[in-house]
Amino acid sequence: MFPRNVLTSEDQILAERTGQPRGTELVLAADQGEHADLAAYRQVRRQSRMRRVGIGALGLAVLVAIWQLVAMLLNDPVFLPSVAQTAASFAHYFNRPYPAQGSPLWSDALISLRRILIGFTAGTVIGVALGVAMSASRVVRYLVDPVIEVLRPLPPLAFIPLFIIWLGIGELPKEVLITIGVIPIMAVTTVASLDEVPDDLRLCARTLGASSRYTMLRVQIRAALPGILTGMRISMAAAWTSIVAAELIAATSGLGYLIMQAGDYLNTALVFSGIIAIAILGLALDACLRGLLLLADPSRRQ
Amino acid sequence: MTARADPAGVPELTEAPGAEVVVDSVSKVFRRGGRRTVALAGASLRVRAGELVSLLGPSGCGKSTLLRIIAGALTADEGTVTVGGRPVSGPSPERGMLFQTPMLFGWLTTRNNILFGPRAQRAARRHERDDPELEDEAAALLDRVGLAGFGEAFPHELSGGMQHRVAFARALAARPSLLLMDEPFGALDAITRERMHEFLLDIWDQHRITIIFVTHDIEEAILLGDRVAVMGGRPPCIGEIIDIPLARPRHALDADTEVFLTAKRKIRAALRT
Repeated sequence: MFPRNVLTSEDQILAERTGQPRGTELVLAADQGEHADLAAYRQVRRQSRMRRVGIGALGLAVLVAIWQLVAMLLNDPVFLPSVAQTAASFAHYFNRPYPAQGSPLWSDALISLRRILIGFTAGTVIGVALGVAMSASRVVRYLVDPVIEVLRPLPPLAFIPLFIIWLGIGELPKEVLITIGVIPIMAVTTVASLDEVPDDLRLCARTLGASSRYTMLRVQIRAALPGILTGMRISMAAAWTSIVAAELIAATSGLGYLIMQAGDYLNTALVFSGIIAIAILGLALDACLRGLLLLADPSRRQ
Repeated sequence: MTARADPAGVPELTEAPGAEVVVDSVSKVFRRGGRRTVALAGASLRVRAGELVSLLGPSGCGKSTLLRIIAGALTADEGTVTVGGRPVSGPSPERGMLFQTPMLFGWLTTRNNILFGPRAQRAARRHERDDPELEDEAAALLDRVGLAGFGEAFPHELSGGMQHRVAFARALAARPSLLLMDEPFGALDAITRERMHEFLLDIWDQHRITIIFVTHDIEEAILLGDRVAVMGGRPPCIGEIIDIPLARPRHALDADTEVFLTAKRKIRAALRT
């Protein structure tokens, strides 16, 4: 799962950019003639977006309904608890510690979130800086490229024993694990996004009177920003994969550990609660990144 | 450059009138993996101040290379280029450029696209005009290119022709004395392109900056240019330069006149040699 994500990151960017069916007929209509009223055009685009969001919500509702139906038919809460049982378990353990594990759900969620945010931020900063350097200098690119090519397909989980030997069993090895997973994704997507900025866009800025520094910051990196943010969304998913896996095998706290403990005691409803907590946090973080993406790229807005 | 506004409150758009361009036996060779490609072999051209010259030739005849050398994006292996008496070294806002695609900054509104040049130049301490003054100029330019209601629109919300007009306004806002146009309307449909021709001639009539217009379309070259410089040959170079004695202002209808057809015949002959 994890290495696949990394290998196809460029394809995913492309899919992100081209695959979205966003009111195609309207765009075409706008291309054919010159529309006279910007406000009306935006209004129509907004309505089509609302419709899309509505259909998406329907898909989720269907999933929950199927879950509930199957749970009712099986009537075996250890095998598959119902939606109501899971919700009750979530509400119960949110504030109370699970005896076998010792801390409430919210605290495990915060611990996982903290690891993610620290590791992800460090990985993003290092990865983007590396990508900019690789894009700016051929020597750096030829130097770093093979290193990334070797590291990229390796599952970060393989490094866990090493990190424990080197860094102990505290928080640091978990954060470093995430950072190590994020760096290659961010470096690769940053290089790809910068490479995609046309040379003529840079020349255009220069002929308008921008210095090369101004052009680098305000045009080249700015133009690559949506691609970099898309890379961050991919990295975020990868970060969750590594942290939960790490917590399952080598931790005494965090959502992964909670899920493992609940599983050991056949508390399936709590396993589901942990999974749902991960989903909620993942969705929330992705929503933040998507918000930034909308800010960075107006063509995705309506 | 200094700030200047005329009494009517409409800011003057170009400080300097057009600059004279002298291209003197410019050569350029590209080397890629041991292979040498001669892109230009001793091209010479003199463009008078305020003149509109079409640079016509088939694909791969070096016309884009020559344009980029004049822009300062490429350096010539031999020969010199001077614009307004100064030798070219590197890109400069005195030499504006329009590309085949509008090259708008997708994250900026139309207004901020137009203001990119003035703001970048202010950051480079080329002038000290303040924001209200620049905003006024942007509004005047938007009006001039017929996009008064679209200042807050983003490029993707505009049609192809509108995007090209924004690119035009943005180039003018940087106050160039020479505008280099690299097949700027090549990707537009025939009807929109005709409109853009009239628009270009109208703007040029008002500003009288020097324009070098690269195209592979014979009719477009004749309709726009005071003169047409025909490029081609192996190794590529500028061949004949043909005067177009059509009266100004010109219109698409001029394409049916005898003068036009004569010029077309001459150019066809020049392209064969």
